[in-house]
Amino acid sequence: MYVRVGLGPNAENRNFGGLSVKDLKHLIYFENLLQEANNELVQKARADGKYAVGYTCYFMPEVLLDLPGCFSVRLRAPRCTSPDIATYYMSARVCHYGRSLFERALEGGYNFLDAQMATETCTVTCRFQEHLQKKNLDSVADMDVIKNDNFFCEFIDVPFKKTENSYLHYKEQLKYHVLDKLHERFGIDSSDGAIMKAIEQHNEVCRLINQIGDYRKLDKPTITGYEFHVIQLVSLACPKELILPYLRETAEEMKTREPDERWPFRCKVVLAGSENDDPEFTKLIEGCGAEVVADRYCYGAVESRIPIVVKEGQEPLDAIARHYLDTSNCPRFMPQDIMRERKQRLADLVKEYKADGLIVASNKFCEYWSYERVINTVVMKRDFGIPVCSIEKEYINSASGQLRTRFQAFVESVEIKKIQEGK
Amino acid sequence: MKYFGGCDVGSTYTKAVILDENGKMIADTTIRSKINSEQSAIAAMEEVCKQAGLKDSKELAYLIGTGYGRNKVPFADENISEISCHAMGVHVTNPDVKAIIDIGGQDVKGISIDTDGTVKNFAMNDKCAAGTGRFFEAMARSFELSLPEFSKLSLTAKNVIPITAQCTVFAESEVITLVGEGKATDEIAAGIEMAVAKRCFVMAKKAGATDSITLTGGCAKNDGLKEAIEHVLKLKVVELKTDPQLMGALGAAEYARQKGMAKK
Repeated sequence: MYVRVGLGPNAENRNFGGLSVKDLKHLIYFENLLQEANNELVQKARADGKYAVGYTCYFMPEVLLDLPGCFSVRLRAPRCTSPDIATYYMSARVCHYGRSLFERALEGGYNFLDAQMATETCTVTCRFQEHLQKKNLDSVADMDVIKNDNFFCEFIDVPFKKTENSYLHYKEQLKYHVLDKLHERFGIDSSDGAIMKAIEQHNEVCRLINQIGDYRKLDKPTITGYEFHVIQLVSLACPKELILPYLRETAEEMKTREPDERWPFRCKVVLAGSENDDPEFTKLIEGCGAEVVADRYCYGAVESRIPIVVKEGQEPLDAIARHYLDTSNCPRFMPQDIMRERKQRLADLVKEYKADGLIVASNKFCEYWSYERVINTVVMKRDFGIPVCSIEKEYINSASGQLRTRFQAFVESVEIKKIQEGK
Repeated sequence: MKYFGGCDVGSTYTKAVILDENGKMIADTTIRSKINSEQSAIAAMEEVCKQAGLKDSKELAYLIGTGYGRNKVPFADENISEISCHAMGVHVTNPDVKAIIDIGGQDVKGISIDTDGTVKNFAMNDKCAAGTGRFFEAMARSFELSLPEFSKLSLTAKNVIPITAQCTVFAESEVITLVGEGKATDEIAAGIEMAVAKRCFVMAKKAGATDSITLTGGCAKNDGLKEAIEHVLKLKVVELKTDPQLMGALGAAEYARQKGMAKK
């Protein structure tokens, strides 16, 4: 029996989009795990003596935080709708996501963390993490935010290019600021053997998530975007070792899951954009008739669930550094050819998942995606002929009537084009 | 003869239209929206059914709800977004018009229309009320004028005093400050119309407006705004033969007619 709390889903609104297929066995459990960063599995792992290491950005390789003896938690701020205190320290003109994380930190939501591994990637999350440092001379106030005496926060510098020098620099940053610090502070084994063990576990998560996600490529997908979003998020927010049995069982369950006789959606879309860890946003889109079949956003699965390949004779850390720089589609990379590759990647996703359109959603004041969204809105339609719906959103905003109107109008226009094209 | 209905439950006004099989508008109404969307829809539908000589909306062959309260219209066969409905409403009124600026009570939309009346592209403001009907209501209130009086006042200005704040709350205090400084009220009013016109420019450009444009929604009756938009967009604003405030309901009724006629 799991108690529902806060703004989480409830039994009355489960049939979004008219879906009547039976719930996945662990879906309600997964939904409840997402209600709090310090969830049941995080608490269990800590009780087992493991160290909880927080992070926010893809460029902090989660696999290194999942070395034996510690586990990664990609931070979210569920139920934080009004980050007023954080706004005082960070200003109202920075993204709601960064402010919401800081608000949650100030409320004590991350006191379970033993360390925070930060990246100098987008400014706002970087600033948020600066506030978590025990000694921060540039902070507005001398705050001891994380109430854990052993807590520490470490930053890495992430290159803006993908060159040999960049790989080397990134690898050194990971070694010095992540591996060495985890070893010094917690005695974590950071040998190649330990890293290979973590890669093995990471790759199993990737395989399972991809196996589940492949059902979204069917003509009548047997899993909704919302369900997949929840599954992907628990794989980021829970200790891998403890969530794996549930993922394995879900992947097995998917093998025999039958689709609804009548597909309850009107079109399929790819959802791209900035940070999105709110499954209710995906549910909102699907409630307007557009099934979300692929996700290319921060916290999404498209990049983060590509297995890491270590070549014969290659140093595991080198493989990790190359993997994370190469697979990222973050708009912080601005060379023309890489920008074009990103557009092509989105077009390929639309084709691969048989989508009818693209929704590009960026958080208000997002440093990189605000511009990328504007460009995508024009280019994806002009050069690839893909209908685009462009949305600027808040961190949590499932109740917005205006968003519903926009999504519904987009679905109507896509649907009519499908009818006209005889699809 | 079959009859078809469209009911546009907006945040400020609720509009309803009934069409016959030939697409002729036989009844229409515009009422102030109540706090309860369903009650607004019931009141508007009662009024148009009465005009059309129908007992109630159950006698309609097909009924479509649209607008903010589109899913609260009793006995509706389905609901369609107001973006699609405004496009269709304008298309059946004047097929030559290919772009719309719809200024409703709580949002501003730019819509471009395809040759068949469907939506080609659209853009819409975010949650804030800047540049919407609510914004005009607040501005007129600070002048202690009605909306038509405010519009008329702006047309008499020889110069324009720019309003810097787009936020409804801050713009209202800026206007009060300007009035307090003894600035000409007609020039302030013209500045307000210009501020909204610039916001409309963004929406129209995002939606892809190129040739002709028309205004729909309650604010379409604001001549001062119309003049400001023509000045900013450098496009002629086409006047519609039918009340522009009814376009959402008319489009919904036309969709109802097409769907109802196709249903054997």
